[in-house]
Amino acid sequence: MLAGVATLCAQEAPLGNSVKINLPADSPLTLISANLGESHVSQRGSAMVVDLDVSLTLHNASPKSVRGVTLLVAAQEFTPGGKAAVSVPSLDVGPDQNFPVHVKLRLLRPAQMGAGPLVQVNLDGVLFQDFSFYGPNRLDCRRTMTAWEMQAERDRKYFKSILASRGLNGLKQAMLESLNRQAERPRLDVQVSRGRAVGSAAVAAHDEQFAFLHFPGAPVEPVDGWAEVSGSEARNPRIDVRNLSSRPVRYVEIGWIVSDRAGHRFLAASVPASGPTFNLKAGSTSRVLQDTELRFSRDGGPVSIAGMTGFVGQVEFADGTVWIPNRAALANARLLGILPPSPEEQRLMDLYRKKGPQALADELNRF
Amino acid sequence: MTHPDPSTLALYAGQDLGWFARWRTARHLARCRECRDEVQAFASVSDALIPLNELPPISWSRLAAEMRANIRLGLAAGECVRAEETGRPPGWWSGARALTALASMIALVAAGLFLQRPVPQAPPVADNGSAVLRATANGIELREGGESLSLLHVRTADVTYSAGAQGSMRAGYVDSETGNVTINDVYVQ
Repeated sequence: MLAGVATLCAQEAPLGNSVKINLPADSPLTLISANLGESHVSQRGSAMVVDLDVSLTLHNASPKSVRGVTLLVAAQEFTPGGKAAVSVPSLDVGPDQNFPVHVKLRLLRPAQMGAGPLVQVNLDGVLFQDFSFYGPNRLDCRRTMTAWEMQAERDRKYFKSILASRGLNGLKQAMLESLNRQAERPRLDVQVSRGRAVGSAAVAAHDEQFAFLHFPGAPVEPVDGWAEVSGSEARNPRIDVRNLSSRPVRYVEIGWIVSDRAGHRFLAASVPASGPTFNLKAGSTSRVLQDTELRFSRDGGPVSIAGMTGFVGQVEFADGTVWIPNRAALANARLLGILPPSPEEQRLMDLYRKKGPQALADELNRF
Repeated sequence: MTHPDPSTLALYAGQDLGWFARWRTARHLARCRECRDEVQAFASVSDALIPLNELPPISWSRLAAEMRANIRLGLAAGECVRAEETGRPPGWWSGARALTALASMIALVAAGLFLQRPVPQAPPVADNGSAVLRATANGIELREGGESLSLLHVRTADVTYSAGAQGSMRAGYVDSETGNVTINDVYVQ
């Protein structure tokens, strides 16, 4: 028994300098502490497993309130093409205040690790209350965090209007509706790979046309689109979009909904288009395309794709401003029950569940 | 390290353990974050029950009256059947009972066949060395050959996953330790 305990101890070891936190010298955030907690490396058969549990405390050294932060997590020694990001939106961190960020990572590889840090954590961006931004923006987090902040403003405005017009009971009712919607939201398991890799298509592929939802006032409209579909797999979505606005657009994101043979609708993925090959001048048409493969399943069984619907979920103009659909448009298109809630709505639901309607009302009245 | 079973953690979260088991579990929790997360998840579930207090008021007296009426109806029906059976020669293996037993056996076999029917399974992931992203029970996993990178989230029931056709997967949740919404993205290139 003692020998067994000794072997177990030999297989588990704490991690010392395995994580490197890189904040630029002129960063508006400074690192107060980085706690590795119960991070450890262990042997599982011939493979090595690294469990990293990093609790960071960051300090807002800028004169502005921070609304969101994105950290880029890279482990090049593992999965060379892979990278990850941890974002914390819906923050309200004033100048000279601290806030925590939690990074939990598991790495597995068949061989022993080399020397040096296993994981590098870099600051990718900080979004401030006035929508100004700091950071290298390698992951395009400026647009992502701006869109989250706009969703937060939209959803706070919605719940505040309910509080103003229908009082605390109305707010409770709206929250219960949100909670029910999320509990009943149909979920789909999706596996993603670049190129043809996810599954082995036994069914012959065919081109499936997209049907489109149109939102009033959207600056971009989808015109035509299709994807290769075989059974529960879909490949290479291609969607033509037209810029209806008078401003050039540098990013468009199409929401992709699939329906099964029973008529259930699921959010499958978002199809983004950006980069040097995507050029959408005012009044012009361009193509959103991705060389990717997705496989859909539910409760362990494949989901046969019977139909596909697309809608414009996000647009970024060349000047950096972002458009998102309003709440009424999403409700009219019956999308609120299909799309995940915005990060802010998720936070408000959690607050309501844990602290009740009065705490939620107090939070909404804060700003 | 031996972890307490989930039922013990659930009882601990609900403060329903005896003093010795509570002391022993608390000692374990002091040095095991995984189990602390589990207890937190159980506590969150009980928090989620708060909205159930919003149920509309139930007319218990009306419900009781309906139940009494149904019981009386059942008793009256039983009396009618007993009256018809009077005069029938008593026999343990009467035709009606044999028929009931046979029907029960057929129902049992049918249920077994129904439960064991072949269910279509999702095709296995082709392990041809290509990088594949997928959501797992506690995070997002990028697997490539024999290597993998997983960005994990704390255990909570309310995680929203979404995929990006450019080769990404996202999980959003409220971190019970920090209280902040946290969004994890993993990208494949």
